Amino acid sequence: MMEAVAEQSSVYLQDFQARDRSAEPAWWATRREAAMQRFEAAGFPGRKVEAWKQTRLGNVTQDHFRPAQVPGTLSNEAAANLAVVEDAVRIVMVDGVLDTERSELERLPDGVRVRTLAAALDEDGGVAEQHLARHADAEPHPFLALNTAFATQGVVIEVVSGAAPEQPLELVSVMTAESTGVAAWPRVLIHAATSSEFTVVQRHEGSDGAAYLTAPVTEVIADANSVVNLFHYASEGDKGSHLGVIHTTLDRDSQLNAHAMHAGGQRLRTDFYVNLDGPGASANLNGLYLVRNGQFSDVHTWVRHNADHCTSEQLVKGVLDGKAESVFDGLIQVAKGAQKTDAGQENRNLLLSPKGIAHSNPRLEIYADDVKCGHGSTVGQLDENAVFYMRTRGISDQEARGVLTFAFANEMLDDMALPSLQAYEREALLSLLPGEEAVRKLL
Amino acid sequence: MALLEIRNLHAEIEGEEILKGINLTLEVGQVHAIMGPNGSGKSTLAKVIAGDAAYEVTEGEVLLDGKDVLEMEPEERAREGLFLGFQYPVEIPGVSNTYFLRAAANAVRKHRGEPEVDAAQFLRHVRERMELVQMDEALLKRPVNSGFSGGEKKRNEIFQMAVLEPRLAILDETDSGLDIDALRTVSHGVNSLRSPERGFLLITHYQRLLNYIVPDTVHVMVDGRIVKSGGKELAVELEESGYALFEENSAA
Repeated sequence: MMEAVAEQSSVYLQDFQARDRSAEPAWWATRREAAMQRFEAAGFPGRKVEAWKQTRLGNVTQDHFRPAQVPGTLSNEAAANLAVVEDAVRIVMVDGVLDTERSELERLPDGVRVRTLAAALDEDGGVAEQHLARHADAEPHPFLALNTAFATQGVVIEVVSGAAPEQPLELVSVMTAESTGVAAWPRVLIHAATSSEFTVVQRHEGSDGAAYLTAPVTEVIADANSVVNLFHYASEGDKGSHLGVIHTTLDRDSQLNAHAMHAGGQRLRTDFYVNLDGPGASANLNGLYLVRNGQFSDVHTWVRHNADHCTSEQLVKGVLDGKAESVFDGLIQVAKGAQKTDAGQENRNLLLSPKGIAHSNPRLEIYADDVKCGHGSTVGQLDENAVFYMRTRGISDQEARGVLTFAFANEMLDDMALPSLQAYEREALLSLLPGEEAVRKLL
Repeated sequence: MALLEIRNLHAEIEGEEILKGINLTLEVGQVHAIMGPNGSGKSTLAKVIAGDAAYEVTEGEVLLDGKDVLEMEPEERAREGLFLGFQYPVEIPGVSNTYFLRAAANAVRKHRGEPEVDAAQFLRHVRERMELVQMDEALLKRPVNSGFSGGEKKRNEIFQMAVLEPRLAILDETDSGLDIDALRTVSHGVNSLRSPERGFLLITHYQRLLNYIVPDTVHVMVDGRIVKSGGKELAVELEESGYALFEENSAA
């Protein structure tokens, strides 16, 4: 009997019902309840759910994660790494809780308005009411639903029409060593008004040893002719799970330039949704995942061409070291009537050990006839001819492998528009390489 | 002591014996050519001397300046002064020619206990050597062999050899597929580097190369064995009679 009861009502629903939500505006309460119901109806996805069948959820579905009552203390290393992007305005979350002291909500460039989620929810008919959980929540994603149900921490960013602030915004989410059992539900809403241009960096940094769950959701609404540059970096702890969503809705002639890196963590999955809803919109996604021994990384892309004359490019590379596992699952969907679509997708995986497993699933669903769509997918090891060639020039086996691995992955960092973040990501890459010191000398 | 001494060398790949007892002595300062039909084992010999792990040496010795190279890793052989010019040079995307060469040069210097090469000095040395093979300086900044034409790749091999100044250079069919201009350039590079302190082992399929680089000794290799050795006139003889005669002898 007990088991039957437990199956009927999840611990998350019990938590949800126990919360005091009396201060919430009605529209938000409605959206939250709908999300909670969606989660409750579907539960955590089993192996039979196509979009989740290769994702190793492990302890995430067994353990019960709850928001931190009091955030933990930052380690010296984490404190030193809060500021990475040069000249950026920073917003910091610790264990899923907004850290107002470390954040610079008062120091914003002209043309950008940033409020806490709580403050934005208070505004009648504002951007939150208009957009929050209105676009992303159409997706059947269990952690997105939980985020909508539980999020109290986050920011709402508005870029005014025509504004092009030079300063990027850097959102840093840190999980401390004390965050075992903690659930972080960071929520970010970005609205870029017509003809604006904006750069945002989201970094997720976790501490080793803590078994936490972070499930960030970022919604981007790009109005006509706007440009959004989005950088996403995740380096979670060796016991940390990160199951995040980035959802973008692009109006006509708008542009999304996204760069994502999974640098490490026990379990990482990012679902990247791109809805090209207006003619002439374009999206450029490039990504790199480094998967260390014993870790799992998953990148799902959902690129939907819903209007004509849109372009999209996806290039995602992965490097797997030791007994590591990765998933790249990439959708290009071209709706009927989305003529003159130009869409490309490439996924390249490099296995440094025969123990690594890289799944690569391109999915093309094309319902229009006048389109250009290309895709490619490879899983391979280093070219032994190239290794031998370098060794016959006196370069050691280890150095040769390091240099070739670096060259493979560095292509994804070469064109980054933010040199400070590029250098930071390069360090993460170098730390994975065999013969690290020798490779450094070659740069 | 000979620069290169090969004694009764046997090697196989995936259980199939390719080299069936090679004997060869190359004195320092000399240029030897190995000629032979396709599949005779010429390229295998080059790769085995350089240390390609795809081949297994089952018997015999290879001595460079008296040291047993079969006991060494490929990179150690290179640091001891061995250079292999590849028949099919490998493309290395993402690694520029300059960095690659400096890493190679420093590996040798480190092995000899010398300090790392000064960047400016190294660049002067590299420029000098480029002229020798008439290579475009733009190729220096490009990734190693990436998008190079066949002729550019072969030139790049000779260029690397010229920069690294090995004790023994083995050139595996460097002349194959070259037009006459490129062949002249490559030959000029080799001839300029001939020295009493250095030896060359040229592996070739075509006698034409030997009109430009005059060898001290020519070896004919058939079915994994050296069946005849002689002076440069042997190459001319081969050009006229072909390998058929030797193949029959070998089969008998």
